[in-house]
Amino acid sequence: MRSDAAENNGIDGSFLQPSDTEVQRWMSCAFNMAKEALESGEVPVGCLLVYNNMVLGKGRNEVNETKNATRHAEMVALDQVLEWCSDRELDPEEVCRRCVLYVTVEPCITCAAALRLMNIPLVVYGCKNERFGGCGSVLDISAADLPHTGTSFTCIPGHRADEAVDMLKTFYKQENPNVLKPKVRKDSLGPAGGSVTTQRESCEKSTSD
Amino acid sequence: MEPETKKRRGMESDPDWWDFLPVLSDEMSDEVPVLDAYAAPITDKRQTSRLVKDLSVVHPLADLQHIKRVRARRDEKEPHALEVLVCLVSDVLTRPQRPTLIDLLSSKDFNVKGLGEPFLVRIPARAPLTRPQFERASRHWPTSFHEDKRVTLGLKGQLFTSGQKAKFQEYMTAAVEAARAGREEGMEAVGAAIIDPKSGQILAVGHDLSRDHPLQHAAMVCIDLVAWGQGGGVYRYEKHPACRYTASDPQLSSGASEEGVQPYICTGYELYITREPCVMCAMALVHSRISRVFYGTSSPDGALGTKYKIHCQKGLNHHFQVYQGVMRQTCEALTRPR
Ligand SMILES: [Zn+2]
Ligand SMILES: [Zn+2]
Repeated sequence: MRSDAAENNGIDGSFLQPSDTEVQRWMSCAFNMAKEALESGEVPVGCLLVYNNMVLGKGRNEVNETKNATRHAEMVALDQVLEWCSDRELDPEEVCRRCVLYVTVEPCITCAAALRLMNIPLVVYGCKNERFGGCGSVLDISAADLPHTGTSFTCIPGHRADEAVDMLKTFYKQENPNVLKPKVRKDSLGPAGGSVTTQRESCEKSTSD
Repeated sequence: MEPETKKRRGMESDPDWWDFLPVLSDEMSDEVPVLDAYAAPITDKRQTSRLVKDLSVVHPLADLQHIKRVRARRDEKEPHALEVLVCLVSDVLTRPQRPTLIDLLSSKDFNVKGLGEPFLVRIPARAPLTRPQFERASRHWPTSFHEDKRVTLGLKGQLFTSGQKAKFQEYMTAAVEAARAGREEGMEAVGAAIIDPKSGQILAVGHDLSRDHPLQHAAMVCIDLVAWGQGGGVYRYEKHPACRYTASDPQLSSGASEEGVQPYICTGYELYITREPCVMCAMALVHSRISRVFYGTSSPDGALGTKYKIHCQKGLNHHFQVYQGVMRQTCEALTRPR
């Protein structure tokens, strides 16, 4: 098995203490994704899974198109990490143990448990998730004593929390459960598109190796 | 398979043989908490209604509407027939060792005529929610109780008819068979089925796939299979023939409104699963709006009764019913090392 990808990444555990610059950089990518989602009428949550300065997973909520209520941004991103590992015949557990999740909203109870099962050690998030939060808001799954449910993880909450809350508020205000809105395709995105794209380039998923 | 398992299965094939219970919230299953209070004998029965009236002015017990103010004496040898609740211990500012009526009724103009010296009692802090809670709470002090007959029957294992139990058994058998198929593939021996109780249709049957994908627990697989039946879906299951789905018949479907709009994901559906779901799966069922879950056996990190009760978790916007013990022994035998 190849291990070069794992080699220079936080052997000293430094990836567990990302610098302010790192946090700002990755969170701004996550926020751009959330904004993009909001503009296309979807749940404004963005997340990235970062490993060794590479984005292995990028997710947005895909509940509507998959009709699967568990397709939250985090789950989509975790699947991408698994795929990345299987393409390279790397042990997903070893990779995940060195991944950091950056997400605009506190992961829900399902996602928090999934992050444990995948052994993700650190989650940096924006605002609290008052309705479903699994890192303290409704339940604290991240730190709970669940010996058969993966490993507990650390959270760094509150990054640009007000902005994340505002996006959620805007979304829930416009959400009308009785009307099924036609889905706006991402590529037909209007105004903010230009500036978003440039920023987005820098957080593009790592495809090179 | 060892003959012992066969014998057990033989017994469990009679739906009346096995029994299962609802998994109720802590509020419904724990003892009703009690408060310390002072009661006093009514030495002159004719003063009863006046005393109750006057006491309710001095000590109104506003948050204890379920409490009956007067009870029959507990000790047959006592000369008085009735006892009245005076106040909570916490209502009294000074706490002498043996308080007198004067201590409790500081109001100068309270007429203590017909009232004996106070003694300590315990009273239920809130109204009981189930018959067993009511029976135990009443031993302390009489309380009102609004009985939910379905809960009472459920706790006695009498909520469902033999015909219904036979149906549940059919669904759980599908889950058990899936679990065995999964085990043959080297997966955890956990199986599940999602059904539409209106049509009786089995919409999805699946088993654990966590050896290939750490998050593909049996319940997650079934949720995704239902999504496939609704024109969505994420993962592919060709390599796992025991994981299958049927599109729900819109004519018979549960959650469908009059306009024939497809129900939201699992609204109205039921999950049968051999082992208690973990917290990820339990919350996934909340997100999917499942209506009832039946499981066979508990699991150490289980989230529908063991570690959490996600189905009645305060703060969540959707709750569902949970029953455990459906074909328990068959389900337990699945995870036992062979
Ligand atoms: Zn989630
Ligand atoms: Zn699970």
